[in-house]
Amino acid sequence: MTAKKETRASGDGKTAAEEAANPVSKPLLLVAWLVPGLGHWLLGKRLRAVVFAAVVTASFLTGVLLHGELAVPQQNSPLSWFFTFGCIGNGVLYFIRLLWVNGFDGLFNSSFPFGLQGGGDPVAAGFFYGKTFLYTAGLMNLLVVLDVHDIARGDKS
Amino acid sequence: MDHFFLLFWHALLVAVFFAFLWRSDSRGRKALFLKTFLIMFVSAIVLGWLMFPFP
Repeated sequence: MTAKKETRASGDGKTAAEEAANPVSKPLLLVAWLVPGLGHWLLGKRLRAVVFAAVVTASFLTGVLLHGELAVPQQNSPLSWFFTFGCIGNGVLYFIRLLWVNGFDGLFNSSFPFGLQGGGDPVAAGFFYGKTFLYTAGLMNLLVVLDVHDIARGDKS
Repeated sequence: MDHFFLLFWHALLVAVFFAFLWRSDSRGRKALFLKTFLIMFVSAIVLGWLMFPFP
């Protein structure tokens, strides 16, 4: 029974024991999330690192310049957490923007994490385009983190 | 603000991203980039034309 469990193969043909023996460094994933491209850079994938950093940052900056709004948690709105998760994918860019918009006092108010402002201008022509770019940047960076995970585990070159 | 440019820019960024995420060789990246970019860029314009008669 135990032997059966140990030799149980996962989808890519690795056993559970092999997967457990090759854990992915959590700080590496954290760094990959916080700074777009840095995870790949540390793994030696320099070209991919530069491209991912450039694409995610360009998308984020375009969103900001178009007066898009970052998603922030809102009371009585479960979906806002979902959108926030997507935007937090931007890593440090997200926090810098929130700090820029809210300032230190606004960021750590008494009702944290509620009451934050996501920036942007709802009457601007580019408001919804900007949001699209911001969300896209966040989701792309989350995919980058998953890619770092796969490379670090040896599932991908 | 040029909507056409924003469409182009968004399609370009996403196509480059997925080309580098899903392909490792130069030839594969170029092929996937072209395919992804054209699908997003051209289909958006075609859909725009198709929706033109609707209010």
